[in-house]
Amino acid sequence: MELIALLILLPLIAALFILFSHSNILQYLVTSTVFLVSSLSIHLFAFPIPSITFVFSSSLETILVIFDVLLLLFFMYQGHLFRHRLVFGLALLQLLLYLLVEANLGSGDGFSLLMDRLSVMMSLIINVVGGIIVIYAIAYMKDEMISPFKKRLFIAYLLIFLSVMNMIVMANSLLLFFFLFEMTTLASYLLIAFRNDELSRTNALRALWMNQIGGVVILMGTLLAVTQFDTVYFDVLMSHSGGYLLFAIALFSMAALVKGAAMPFDGWLLGAMVAPTPVSAMLHSATMVKIAPFMILKFAPVLAGTLLGGVISISGILVFVAAAYTALSKEVFKEILGYSTIALLGLIMSLAAIGTEDSIQLAMVLIVFHALSKALLFLAAGVLEKVHHVKSIEAMKGLVQYAPKSVFFIIFGFMTLTLPPFGLFMGKLFALQAVSENLMHSPWQIIVLLGIIIGGVLLTLLYFKVVSALLSKESDLQVAQSETLLLGFSIPLLLLSVLIILASLWLFKTHSALPMSYLLVPLLLLLVIPLSYRMLEGFDRTTEYHCGEKETFDSALFYFDMSASLVRAMYWVFGLLFVGIALAGVLS
Amino acid sequence: MSALMTLLAPILGGFVYGFERVLRARMQRRQGPPMLQPFYDMFKLMEKRTIIIHALHVVLGVLHFFLLWVTVGAIFFGWNLLYVIFLHLFSLIVLVMAGYSVRSVYSHLGANRELLAMVAYEPVLLLVAVGFFLQSGSFEITAILQDSSHLMQMPLLFIALLMIIPIKVKKSPFDVVEAHQEIVGGVEVEYSGIFYEFLYMARFLEYLFIYSFVFLFGGDSSILGGFLVLIVFFLINLVDNATARVRTADMMKIVYFGAISISVINLVWMVI
Amino acid sequence: MSFFKRFRKKSPWILHYNAGSCNGCDIEILATLAPKYDLERFGVINTGNPKQSDIFLVTGPVTYRSRERLVKLYTQMPEPKVVIAVGSCTTTGGVFRGMYNVEDGIDQYIPVDVYVPGCASSPQLIIDGVVKALEILENKNQEIEKPFKLFGGIRQVGTKTSRRDMAKKVEPNRSDDDQS
Repeated sequence: MELIALLILLPLIAALFILFSHSNILQYLVTSTVFLVSSLSIHLFAFPIPSITFVFSSSLETILVIFDVLLLLFFMYQGHLFRHRLVFGLALLQLLLYLLVEANLGSGDGFSLLMDRLSVMMSLIINVVGGIIVIYAIAYMKDEMISPFKKRLFIAYLLIFLSVMNMIVMANSLLLFFFLFEMTTLASYLLIAFRNDELSRTNALRALWMNQIGGVVILMGTLLAVTQFDTVYFDVLMSHSGGYLLFAIALFSMAALVKGAAMPFDGWLLGAMVAPTPVSAMLHSATMVKIAPFMILKFAPVLAGTLLGGVISISGILVFVAAAYTALSKEVFKEILGYSTIALLGLIMSLAAIGTEDSIQLAMVLIVFHALSKALLFLAAGVLEKVHHVKSIEAMKGLVQYAPKSVFFIIFGFMTLTLPPFGLFMGKLFALQAVSENLMHSPWQIIVLLGIIIGGVLLTLLYFKVVSALLSKESDLQVAQSETLLLGFSIPLLLLSVLIILASLWLFKTHSALPMSYLLVPLLLLLVIPLSYRMLEGFDRTTEYHCGEKETFDSALFYFDMSASLVRAMYWVFGLLFVGIALAGVLS
Repeated sequence: MSALMTLLAPILGGFVYGFERVLRARMQRRQGPPMLQPFYDMFKLMEKRTIIIHALHVVLGVLHFFLLWVTVGAIFFGWNLLYVIFLHLFSLIVLVMAGYSVRSVYSHLGANRELLAMVAYEPVLLLVAVGFFLQSGSFEITAILQDSSHLMQMPLLFIALLMIIPIKVKKSPFDVVEAHQEIVGGVEVEYSGIFYEFLYMARFLEYLFIYSFVFLFGGDSSILGGFLVLIVFFLINLVDNATARVRTADMMKIVYFGAISISVINLVWMVI
Repeated sequence: MSFFKRFRKKSPWILHYNAGSCNGCDIEILATLAPKYDLERFGVINTGNPKQSDIFLVTGPVTYRSRERLVKLYTQMPEPKVVIAVGSCTTTGGVFRGMYNVEDGIDQYIPVDVYVPGCASSPQLIIDGVVKALEILENKNQEIEKPFKLFGGIRQVGTKTSRRDMAKKVEPNRSDDDQS
């Protein structure tokens, strides 16, 4: 009980301190907070408590209502301020729905927390990965051209966000969940608009209205739960069956798809990439968008074997393939990472919606490793942007010559996403096994199987296409100037890499029936062969073969653009699937 | 036994490659080189003065060879088939990175094509593995080899596998990856001397890798497996001598609309 | 090392370069490599890549345009290596001898080990030349061989030997009489 309160309150208190303190002690304050909350959640993870529920006094409920109304009014104000009708209208709609829910609500109170296996794991990711990102953010903001107060505000935002995320994974009440969902929407809105120029303003507004659709469907689901089942609690709701239960869950799943930027809502996550890189790392890849698979996982036991589960699973896997393919036409590094995030979220949601014990486990494993690898990649992208002023992959040609360390981290990140013996690959391997096992009694999963295979292959193509630009180097005759990274950059990167390796080892030991030699043999080769590097001094260095011609070399990157009609068709299909989820909810 | 096979894998592959060169020569009505020609080539390469572009390029190439060796060893030891396919992907990715690491046009083109070829054949390999799983209930190679032959249940998957073998052993019509007359061998262009030898031997290992998939179709009867390998070996070389190279885009289309769709049909048929 | 020496003879890989030939000799070379004469029975492969070749088969009298490429390819070949000049033009300049845009044979630029005469030289002669070249190849060692002209030097950078500038480029604006 106290532990959980600490998890939520500590970041908040630290944020307050940061706002009103001097900049010098900033990093000590942040580091110690992060250390504390991380060790708290590690403690919770290591010594699991059986799922417990806390109910708070009903006075908190009134505060919640006030906050909720204020938040929605703020959204309406923003819509009015920037003359954005959609934002204004959706906020108004939410306000009306919210009041309707409150009017129908009986005596139940809206503030209750539930701690189970899933939420403990999510809070572990949030605190460890999120914490590392906050530490990185200090170094990142150091030479941003803004006032010291705004820098501190930025860090404080991130810390408050940590607390919100800690709460959202434990929320058991639909109303509390809705409030926190809207808080994350607010967080992305504020942080995308942080640089306050034209582009970030439009992108922030787009993120706002798209996410508000999620809010609307959550409220509709809540209304359904309140009127049909007379409850606002997740656990009570899921113990019911029949009636409109699956319809309510379908509505929540739609909110999950919106939060996970599944197509056709990929626009907002892509726009979010204009935000400072720690924001992209934290909100738009490592933690916040993980709410999407988290929600599906929460409902997974109910979804198993239903038509609704099938439809969500198929639309998830289609998102996986489509997003991987779309990313092949992108040029900006962060956009590529963004699309690969959307793709992998689709995969995780698809596995979660299958709902068997195996696939739920897998989805959780994938969440962990995706968070680690993507955080690593985004942080490395931030270094490229900040230190080397490189954003587009076209500008990255030959980067290894002057930024060997950053390039190493990027390639390592890509390898952990695709290749054995690292965690995410193991997740994919187990996913293939699990889906193949299910094939016999549910043949429709062959679509999922095909999706995993083709999407995975496309993602590999995508990652190593990017590597093609990074890696080309002329010769090693001149000793390359070594790249000096700030400690604030290199420590988070190293920490994440070590975590990935440790987590992979852990996964291999606990979750797989494969013998340890599977992992050790390739890892040993990876470590031993590069030692021969020094032995190559004695060999002559020569020029590349160009048929004897003396032309200069320029590596060309290849792109796969989709035709406009294909893109339109794709969005139609995904739009229909999105509506189809609601339909499937009604039918089943 | 498996340890010995693993240790001797490059030599075994060398014999296969030498035999293939003779077979191809006979198909063209000429005498062809001696069976041991690959070994002569290797001994000669050992004694050449070695010139390299830079150390990273060489290290990645050597790593590619050893990873591939581990992959082939994993097959002999009867590991998990899916894991074997992904290990192979790992070795391929290392080779692709080696190709990208030098500022050479041919090397880059070769690496690009290597990646695209991977996009084409990887799904088929995985689908074949899933087919084996549906029949024998396990991804372990040892378990698959203890079952009776699955050729009757998965004929279309076998044909799909036949379609992608030329990509892997770099034979017409799907030899865009190497395309000696066009991009001078692709990724291997910048290697010389003893380091070219590693790539040369890696080619032998690729033979063993892909033909052991054919062998798996024999199930517990190694005679049937060996027979299948011989037939397929002959067929692939016949097709190689009789066809011209197709472009990369066409190769992708043929594999996706041909091989992958028939494998899916086969899988659906097996499931229902 | 002497154990491996004997295999040089059994696996000679060829690089074929046309330094401004009329294509007569090239056709003969290709005929030699094709199934009728079947040079592959001696292990010969036409690699098309200097880095993996042992024998440099050159045709043509070396036109001004081609000399840089000739030297470049020569320096990219790893030792031990032999050069065969195929055809009259290649050995002496042939009918083009003394012309303003021709260099009178490749031995002005790179050391030649075997001269194969004939306009165009016949496949039998070429095979004979290759066999002669193999004898020479067997007695060579790994020492770096240098071109006569357009030689840019071998640099030592730290512990590494650089052959990157071994073939000098002809500056486009300078007159063509620059010598090594």
